[in-house]
Amino acid sequence: MSEAGSETNVSRVAVFDTHPVEPIDAESPLAWSRQRGLVDAAGGSGQVRAVERPFLGHLILRGGAITLDEAVRAELGINLPGKPLGLNLDADGSRSVQWLSPDEWLVIVPGGEEFELENRLRERLGDAHFAIVNVSGGQTLVELSGEKAREVLMKSVTYDVHSHGLPVGKAVGTVFAKTSVNLRRPSEDRFELVVRRSFADYCVRWLRDAGREYGVSVESPTS
Amino acid sequence: MSQNNRLSQGGRIDRSRVLTFTFNGQQYPGFAGDTLASALLANGVDVVNRSFKYSRPRGIVAAGPEEPNAIVQLGATEAAQVPNVRATQQALYDGLVARSTNGWPNVQRDVMSWVGKLGGSFMPPGFYYKTFMAPASMWMTYEKFIRKGAGLGRSPAESDPDIYDHLNQHCEVLVIGAGPAGLTAALTAARAGARVILCDEQEEMGGSLLDSREALDGASAADWVEKTVAELAGMESVTLLPRTTANGYHDHNFVTLHERCTEHLADTAADAGRAGEVRSRLHRVRAERVVLASGSHERPLVYANNDVPGNMVAGAISVYLRRYGVAPGQRLVLTTNNDHAYRTALDWKEAGREVVAVVDSRANPDGDLVKQARDSGIRVITGSAVMEASGSQRVSGARVVAIDTTRFVVTGKIEELACDTIASSGGYSPVIHLASHTGKRPQWREDLLGFVPGEVKGMHFAGGVQAVYALDETLADGTRAGAEAAQAAGFEQAEAIAVPSVETRTESATSALYQVPHEKSSLRAPKQFVDLQNDVTAAGVELATREGFESIEHVKRYTALGFGTDQGKLGNINGMAIAARCLHRSIPEVGTTVFRPNYTPVSFGAIVGRHCGELFDPERYTALHQWHVENGAEFEDVGHWKRPWYFPRKVNGKTETMHDAVARECLAVRQGVGILDASTLGKIDIQGPDAREFLGRIYTNKWAKLAPGRVRYGLMCKDDGMLMDDGTTSCLGENHFLMTTTTGGAASVLEWLELWHQTEWPELQVYFNSVTDHFATMTVTGPEARKLMAEVTDIDLDREQFKFMDWKQGTVAGVPARVFRISFTGELAFEINVQANYALHVWKALFAHGEKYDLTPYGTETMHVLRAEKGLIIAGQDTDGSVTPEDLGMHWAVGYDKPFPWIGKRALTRPDTAREDRKQLVGLKPKDATVVLEEGAQIVLDREQTIPMTMMGHVTSSYYSPILESGFALAVLKGGRNRMGETVYLPMSDGTTHEAEVVNTVFFDPKWERQNV
Repeated sequence: MSEAGSETNVSRVAVFDTHPVEPIDAESPLAWSRQRGLVDAAGGSGQVRAVERPFLGHLILRGGAITLDEAVRAELGINLPGKPLGLNLDADGSRSVQWLSPDEWLVIVPGGEEFELENRLRERLGDAHFAIVNVSGGQTLVELSGEKAREVLMKSVTYDVHSHGLPVGKAVGTVFAKTSVNLRRPSEDRFELVVRRSFADYCVRWLRDAGREYGVSVESPTS
Repeated sequence: MSQNNRLSQGGRIDRSRVLTFTFNGQQYPGFAGDTLASALLANGVDVVNRSFKYSRPRGIVAAGPEEPNAIVQLGATEAAQVPNVRATQQALYDGLVARSTNGWPNVQRDVMSWVGKLGGSFMPPGFYYKTFMAPASMWMTYEKFIRKGAGLGRSPAESDPDIYDHLNQHCEVLVIGAGPAGLTAALTAARAGARVILCDEQEEMGGSLLDSREALDGASAADWVEKTVAELAGMESVTLLPRTTANGYHDHNFVTLHERCTEHLADTAADAGRAGEVRSRLHRVRAERVVLASGSHERPLVYANNDVPGNMVAGAISVYLRRYGVAPGQRLVLTTNNDHAYRTALDWKEAGREVVAVVDSRANPDGDLVKQARDSGIRVITGSAVMEASGSQRVSGARVVAIDTTRFVVTGKIEELACDTIASSGGYSPVIHLASHTGKRPQWREDLLGFVPGEVKGMHFAGGVQAVYALDETLADGTRAGAEAAQAAGFEQAEAIAVPSVETRTESATSALYQVPHEKSSLRAPKQFVDLQNDVTAAGVELATREGFESIEHVKRYTALGFGTDQGKLGNINGMAIAARCLHRSIPEVGTTVFRPNYTPVSFGAIVGRHCGELFDPERYTALHQWHVENGAEFEDVGHWKRPWYFPRKVNGKTETMHDAVARECLAVRQGVGILDASTLGKIDIQGPDAREFLGRIYTNKWAKLAPGRVRYGLMCKDDGMLMDDGTTSCLGENHFLMTTTTGGAASVLEWLELWHQTEWPELQVYFNSVTDHFATMTVTGPEARKLMAEVTDIDLDREQFKFMDWKQGTVAGVPARVFRISFTGELAFEINVQANYALHVWKALFAHGEKYDLTPYGTETMHVLRAEKGLIIAGQDTDGSVTPEDLGMHWAVGYDKPFPWIGKRALTRPDTAREDRKQLVGLKPKDATVVLEEGAQIVLDREQTIPMTMMGHVTSSYYSPILESGFALAVLKGGRNRMGETVYLPMSDGTTHEAEVVNTVFFDPKWERQNV
């Protein structure tokens, strides 16, 4: 692909680094829950722990699998999950690509990496038909672990969260109480919920209620 | 009374734990392991209720969910009241308080009984329809009277102190029923490796084995149950759910189970010492395969006075004897048409009580159990049946007679047998309810004298549910069904499980007997009850067929057969058989009604689960919600969103009224500067080389020439040409647009775009993604907006550089932002989008700088007033799915000459959409400036016309305008644009009539100068 081609493409789409140059206090989607006393101190001792991983970079990739796969592998070192409901992570688990629909993937990377990644992917993809959308402010990742994490999920989502139904490396969009989440199984001992910002407080209140009989903590680091 | 009917030994009760309970105000003792019913029988309580229609005394009849009479109101306190509890299914606990649901003031002396005495003529079947049809307006009065008399239990008047929840379960094999068939099915499937859930509604698993006379592998049946349940409990892939009723079978093997978690322990979980735990739980099970092993219900025979306390179903008596150590009487007569019921006579005799006689309708019964009865000296009367019971508050005798079942007549002399208990057995009805929940009709098997389930995809049947009754066959049938289910779910069985050995018995065939003929005709004989709960008699069914109700569905509704908590579990088959006899048809020709969920009554709490209180519905918050709360906002629900409605201030220590707050906010925007949290508006990012072409097809107006950096307002129609949504779309780049939608339309518009792209125009290269939650949106608007913005942004705000309907990128309060010069107030306005995590910082910075301009936060109410002053519509308020862009006077936003036919174009060329008398959007100015018209008020042209008046249109939006110092409204009016200056009338429900002048929709700044400054 030529330099000129990629330039043309970039200029036809308005990319936008949403982060300020000077550091400014940001508020994660759980900020209001914390304000109203629904977030606990770190290191909960109950049988269920929900820990927010705030301020990560979330990008939605749209396009054909073959087109995107090469670019994602080259820029992230992760294979695009080709099969439906696939979730691939890099070696230390800090970057991931999740299948969302036949032409849609969710990329999650450490916060601040997303704009540069978007630009590099756009460069590499050139004039191919694709879309990249930064949705980092619109959703957040909540990790769920503990002995009774599965029971809490059984109260909340209709999907089969047993290893038969949700083995490591699988991710599904599913009903969560009266909203929806992306439910991911990155490893044997934990689940991840990708929650929409506006529904985050509802999800936290639901999790606290569902986990009450087992002892539950909801944690949210402020940076 | 102190448990006079309790046997000195036997039963599965714990005699060391005495429990005290109260029934109808009197205290009784019972034992742990009792049900409320077994404890009542142990204490010799004969009358537990009054009947629904005739107010006759009623006693306990059955031992399971089919119990029609012992329906009680449970709960010691108001908050803990539970209606319609079957005493046969309620475990006894210390301190239990129960009352009869029927019978006022008490079941012994009932003021309603005069109705019952007159009953035959006073309340025939169809009574409600015939008596209460006219006048219809009196129904409410009648209903109160009937309800008070009939009584169906009552809801608590206080909120439930307990919690309930739902659990989603998945398994390969769900086994319903833990009797002999269910246990072997579960064991077989589990050993094959399948994930198995085994549920059973009783307090203990084991089903009929818990009261069985038979031995398994040489030991008692109960021992085998214990061993088998222990093995299942030890398997990781098995979930055991005792006290769990499978209440609904839905499509695709979705089954709802209700587990009683603390209901068997106390009134509330807290009373049981288990505060915070759920009282009952709904398991929503999605199973690959279901094994239905729900067994059968014994049918009683229909004979005269068969409802007098002391008449019971034979098998129930065995259950009370063997499981609870209770003999509910002294002298028994058993009337039967089958061998199996003989066990009740044997059990009764072994308990040391007198068996007066077994009356068998068959001429020559000679099975093993019959022989056993004869050998033990029991008198067996053959070819006969109990025709009538004697007694009123309790059975005092049985009138026995020889019968001819084919001719349906009595053939001999009546013999009177003195007794206090009559056990009857008319055969067994498979419990097929769940198999017919999805609409599958059951099949009548004349050889089995019962309905068996029709084929249900994904469901296997085991044991009694398909009329396999002999214990050895039932155990084998369970094994087969378990293996088949596991195999169908992909699990091959390693080795067959050993079916426990059982002694086989010979049985003589059951005869078909439902109603026992009486010496008098059904209509003249004493009442022969078919459905005890609804007081449906054989005569009632006969009368219904005579009055022309031939379909069983009609008979059911005419007589109320099969209504109520038991849903015809005891009476349905007998009712159908009687209808068939009267209509000279066979039972399959008459057909059966089908069952619906739920199998037994379910408390509302278990249905609601945790979706109650503050978790009833999600609340969506914007990134600025905290600030709104801290600054005293009143909130309005918009979809799931909580949006600030208005921000009342404290003035002289008093909180402003809504009217005052909105007036202040409106004037602040018109005269200074205000700020709105507009984050809830839908935002859709659109990318791709064909994005522009796509917009041109989805919107009514033109998009071909919108340059990057510019914004345009667009209208979206459905294919019927009616307005669906509106909003602005900004050109971010040649191939990149940002669409905004209404708050409520965010999700549906995205779906609409995907629908048209995926189904009609897949060749267009374009992608849509929601960024509603990603960006927070703040609208700074008012004459002072530019001054305020200048203090916080690096964007050049010069009016020539940054014109109305331009957008610019820059920073606001140090945060990268896109700023749009679009206006929904008609004032100078800047709409700021920043990544939501930084929204609060930006908002606070605007207030820090805005103080000197008295920056005023405003809510949705002020937003509505300001936009209406400018005649700007709200889709869904000023439109209702029948309004075209033309009707709104927005032909300027319709591109009829666009090259590609956009959605709605064709519909807008129909003659109907071109009519000049369509309802068109107009302004209304009340003649009296203090009047604010009611939204929805109808418009008429002739105020003197008599009702029904000719309605010409209605008010869609109406407010008081602080800047105009007058009420004003938007309305749709037939031919409205040609009526400018006319006076119209709005008659109100209180008799007054408002006058208003038809005016232009733009009430303020008609030249649109203020937004362009």
